[in-house]
Amino acid sequence: MNEQALVQIKNLSKTIGSKRIIKNLNLDLYKGQITGFLGPNGAGKTTTIRMMVGLMKPSEGDVLIDGKSVKHNFEESIEKVGVIVENPEMYKYMSGYKNLLHFSRMHKGISKKRIDEVVHQVGMKNRINEKVGSYSLGMRQRLGLAQALLHDPKFLILDEPTNGLDPAGIREFRLYLQKIARENGVAVFVSSHLLSEIELLCDRIAIIQNGELIDIKNVKELQQSRFLFKVEPLAEAEEILTGIGFPVSQFEGGLLVETEAEHVPGAVKILVNANISIFAVQPFKATLEDQFLEMTGGGDIAQAHSK
Amino acid sequence: MLKLTQNEWMKLWSRKSSWIMIILLALILLASAAITKWVDNSMDMNNTESWQEVETNEMIYNQSMLEDNSLSEAQREFYEGEVAISEHRLENDLPPYEYDSMQQGVIDSHIMMSVVTLFTVIIAGGIVAAEFSQGTIKMLLTRPVKRWKILTSKYIATMLYAILLAIVLFIVTAIAGLIFYGISDGTFLTWNGSEVVEGSFWLEGLKLLALSFASVWIIGTFAFMLGTVFRSSSLAIGLSIFLMFTGIQAVFLLANYEIVKYYLFTHTDLTQYYTGFMPVEDITMTMSVIVLIVYFIIFMAISYLTFSKRDVTA
Repeated sequence: MNEQALVQIKNLSKTIGSKRIIKNLNLDLYKGQITGFLGPNGAGKTTTIRMMVGLMKPSEGDVLIDGKSVKHNFEESIEKVGVIVENPEMYKYMSGYKNLLHFSRMHKGISKKRIDEVVHQVGMKNRINEKVGSYSLGMRQRLGLAQALLHDPKFLILDEPTNGLDPAGIREFRLYLQKIARENGVAVFVSSHLLSEIELLCDRIAIIQNGELIDIKNVKELQQSRFLFKVEPLAEAEEILTGIGFPVSQFEGGLLVETEAEHVPGAVKILVNANISIFAVQPFKATLEDQFLEMTGGGDIAQAHSK
Repeated sequence: MLKLTQNEWMKLWSRKSSWIMIILLALILLASAAITKWVDNSMDMNNTESWQEVETNEMIYNQSMLEDNSLSEAQREFYEGEVAISEHRLENDLPPYEYDSMQQGVIDSHIMMSVVTLFTVIIAGGIVAAEFSQGTIKMLLTRPVKRWKILTSKYIATMLYAILLAIVLFIVTAIAGLIFYGISDGTFLTWNGSEVVEGSFWLEGLKLLALSFASVWIIGTFAFMLGTVFRSSSLAIGLSIFLMFTGIQAVFLLANYEIVKYYLFTHTDLTQYYTGFMPVEDITMTMSVIVLIVYFIIFMAISYLTFSKRDVTA
């Protein structure tokens, strides 16, 4: 990633009372990339996102969006951001269209045509003139997406966006986000607790725990290739495989070997020659969930703080 | 700012309560005129005094008030004017408006301003608080618009609604007067400080209405502040209405202390300088206006500070 980061989170900290909720968070987000934001409940995801969009003031540090500081240059920096914070709450007593009209007036130069375009994009054409109070949760999510896209943002922040969407809706939503990231070069930042969803959606994952960023990984890295060897005797086989340079670990009565598929036949040959009985060799794919739990130490909920 | 105010105006009229309050105001005015007329009709039998007799009695009473040496300047002028007007009427045979005439209704329309205050408080207390309780505040504040601008647009929308209510009050009062009272043959006389002149009852009514709008404005601003600070419309509305009623009573309790001169409710009724009813005597119009402006600045400063500094966690 050589290009300039679109969003830079710099030394972001938040102290409420005597408790430091967010501790020196540093994170860069890039054009066209979808970054997932994962963490156990109470880890500080929502607080971080609220500081990024100006709903909360950071105690220390700053967020730069396209070089503009959210702290000192709010109007210019936030102009480029589309936000869905948790459930998109709309004015229930107004129609979907009036809601969009309302938000469009708060940005510069959004035409009626643009509103129609976005309505069409999120597939709300038929219901847009009905009151939001009559919408289902899924429709409100669509309207929430529409309001975030109105001003063609360069950066999209979504806090738990798929809450309340049905599986088909989630899929559609995911494909849509991936499309705008790829085609329009939008940087997307998504917090979620749905790990499987994040895995499918994101290019990169940032993991936060107790207000600290503990890891940033590319999803491809996470999906590295590993194979599970069910062999007897275990100790001898481990010695041989380690001896020829494979990273090996014991796992559920077998050996977990980090290697590419092309090296597997060679490894098998060597084991056979050494008189090791091979019962099975299978590709092993740890889910993101396993890794997430591993990294966050079982995902204990961080010490409660008032929300 | 125009677009933001347009937004607030659209939201305000999208809620049924805003319409209901306008309709309710009109109904209250029509009903009270109808009731007055009905009570009049059933009591008319005993009323045989001519307007000359009534005017003479009033003049004698006003003259006796003038003998009181503790009167403030404003009050003295008021009673002198009243006496002069009565003399002029009796000399030139110019009857006043009957109190159940359309014209007198228009002049007295400001009496019903407390209803306008009440409805304004309901809007003012809720306009910020509702954004928090609906959760829409998150949507509103993540726009490229500074918070103070959003708050200002809300304040402007509130005051526009209050002005609209006052206009409705004035127009409906006139219509109710035409329907239930009819037009009187009397004349409207006013004392300009040196002589009695004929005046327009429309202008007199508007003048008193504008003066009593000061109280709508300041109490509305107070409710606006409470709604912004506590983010609870029921608290803001309840507390404002409670203070509106007890606050004025407290003027009488505090009347003997110096502090009453700096107390908000001593000054909220600016019509006191024209109607002669002054619970605290040694205050002037200028002083009242200054006190009101100082309170206004304090209320607004508190609103702006809390609104723009607050961390939104709702």
